[in-house]
Amino acid sequence: MTSRELRVLGMTCAHCVNFVTEELEHLPGATAVTVDLPTGTVTITSDQDLGLPQLQAAIEEAGYDLAD
Amino acid sequence: MTRIAEKFVEEFYNSFTSEVLTAADPAEVVDRYYAAEAVQIADGIEIDRDKLIAHLRPVRKNLVSWRYEVHEAVREQEQLAARFTIHAQLRKGRMLSTEVHLFAEFAPDGRLRRATQLTRDVTPQTPQDVTPQTTEAAPQ
Repeated sequence: MTSRELRVLGMTCAHCVNFVTEELEHLPGATAVTVDLPTGTVTITSDQDLGLPQLQAAIEEAGYDLAD
Repeated sequence: MTRIAEKFVEEFYNSFTSEVLTAADPAEVVDRYYAAEAVQIADGIEIDRDKLIAHLRPVRKNLVSWRYEVHEAVREQEQLAARFTIHAQLRKGRMLSTEVHLFAEFAPDGRLRRATQLTRDVTPQTPQDVTPQTTEAAPQ
């Protein structure tokens, strides 16, 4: 079980949280996604290692960007 | 009076959402519904016109269908208070219901100038029916 924390730019409301959560929870092996809206911090837990390119692609697919 | 305010809220947000999802340029839609100096504060997070337009990019991508269920609304000239629930279906099937408690102020030309809202997730265990909306004329 691994956990990774990301900073996502542009989330402004509860719907944004759900857009990002829906995309990430469909990644293979993802078991939990939590989002702290005020800070833009997203934590994804998975039972297999998810690489940064894969996570970045999912975030962008949801319509958002990863912080540098 | 209250029923008129409820109908106004439903039509305002329905037509705004419908136009945002189908417009070639969502900024043009925002400028018809929101005053240039508009500020929206949702759950403590403040967004202005530019941030609202940026926010619409993921909305256009992810929102498949929606329904506004207005529970109560009161309007006194340019001031509006309302409580409503947004039922939404997302691109990959997730169903959401979000209750919104709104205080808003409109400019004399009918555009939204200030909105302060608190929201809470009221998504039921059993998904709600979300009937896709049709485009309606913008209220003035």
